Amino acid sequence: MGAFWNGVWTIAQKDLRSELRTKEAFNASFSFSLVILVLFSFAFDPTSEELHAIAGGLLWIVFSFAGALILNRSFARELQNDCLDALVSAPISTAALFLGKTLANYFLLLLVEGAALAVFAILYDTHFSKQFWPVVLVVVLGTWGMTIIGTMFSALTVNLRMREMMLPTLVYPLLIPALMAAMTLTTDLMGGTPLGPGNTIWLRVLAGFDLIYSVLAVVFIDIVLVG
Amino acid sequence: MLEARNLTYMFYGYSAAFLILLGYVISLAMRERQLRGELDRVRRMVQDAGKK
Amino acid sequence: MTSSTRDRFIYTLAVICAALLVWDFYKIFMVLPDEANQGAIYRIVYVHVPSIFTGFTGFFVALVASGMYLGTKNLKYDAFAAAVTEVALAFATIVLATGMIWGRIAWGVWWAWDARLTTMLVCWLIYWGYVMLRRAIEEPTQRARLSAVVSIFGCADILIVWKSIEWWRTQHPAPVLSMRDGGGMAPGMEAPIYWNWLAMMCLATIFVLVRMRQEETSREIDSLRRLAHSY
Repeated sequence: MGAFWNGVWTIAQKDLRSELRTKEAFNASFSFSLVILVLFSFAFDPTSEELHAIAGGLLWIVFSFAGALILNRSFARELQNDCLDALVSAPISTAALFLGKTLANYFLLLLVEGAALAVFAILYDTHFSKQFWPVVLVVVLGTWGMTIIGTMFSALTVNLRMREMMLPTLVYPLLIPALMAAMTLTTDLMGGTPLGPGNTIWLRVLAGFDLIYSVLAVVFIDIVLVG
Repeated sequence: MLEARNLTYMFYGYSAAFLILLGYVISLAMRERQLRGELDRVRRMVQDAGKK
Repeated sequence: MTSSTRDRFIYTLAVICAALLVWDFYKIFMVLPDEANQGAIYRIVYVHVPSIFTGFTGFFVALVASGMYLGTKNLKYDAFAAAVTEVALAFATIVLATGMIWGRIAWGVWWAWDARLTTMLVCWLIYWGYVMLRRAIEEPTQRARLSAVVSIFGCADILIVWKSIEWWRTQHPAPVLSMRDGGGMAPGMEAPIYWNWLAMMCLATIFVLVRMRQEETSREIDSLRRLAHSY
């Protein structure tokens, strides 16, 4: 078991280190989120009250777009010089390889989301400081669901000609229950409604989604990468 | 017994269902024709290659 | 199954299906009275509900076939899964179309963002992705492997969507069939739903058989092509 987690940690470290040196993925996906956040202001009156009713939805659309940019590259960048073949034949299980990549993507995506959340709060004058920790919890759970599905399908589509188009077509429909729960919760929390009997059901949907797909992904990743 | 009330939309509903089925049958038939053509072509290719 | 017995089976099914449909349509249009509130339009239920049953049966069978493929690596199961999914997708399209047309009268809008309609749409999008994925991969074993995984992930997702959307919002009529809680439909009105389901299952089986034969043909083409290049 120790060797397994060692492998996970090595892969995650490798991915994060190469990202830290170039900052390619972070820069691209953060600037993309910035552009979308500014574009939203033209879609509706950014100073009006109705903003609070749709804030959660907007935020998760930004997150999922930013996520697609990061996740698209996760496995594709290993194609050069046959790195992917080397990784698959390395003396760690494919599950460890997958979880390592998932952790790296997760950390990266959380960073982008944190930055985007700050910009969102400044530009659109939203107050979630009262519900700060619940919002963090929702972001942490929702992002895990996004990352696990996204990394899985990044591996699944890595050898396809139309990779960039297939990934969103497959991933977004699957993410609907997670995004729906996250959007509902974020909108509630930003509107000042605390977590309570009315909305903890969504927290359970989110947690259940994360759990089910974490298990499924770890079980099926070997079939996807090796066959 | 049929009455006139909401009859048009009932008609639309049934036509939509049949049109979708018809569309699927047409797509099946087109693929069938394409596959048959392909099969003939490849068979001839194998025969030609075998003669050489 | 040899090809001639399969053909005979297909023709027999087609005759049964046609007879059933004629009998059902006679019942539906000539014998049954209009529904008190909705008038003639309630008859859409006889296409809508059997299509849902047929579609979901198909997606479930596809899940089982995908699992069997991953267990046995026999490409026959893959061809079966692909054929069933495609046919079920056609029936899912009928569900959406007839649902929208009924909703235009009953709810006043084409699309009410109702729980069940939305579940069906999500379902449709997932399996549309499956069909797209199959078109994007050339190599047969890779295509079989990856699409089987997508089928399993998709089925899990539909179960989650099904539960969660019910908590979200619903204005869909509660199930009126007697197999759940008592039932709100007169027995004479309910029977054609099941008979139509049987007819549609016959139709779906015919489509699946034809579609599977096409998959076999394209495998034959592949192997012939390899043979031609090997000379």
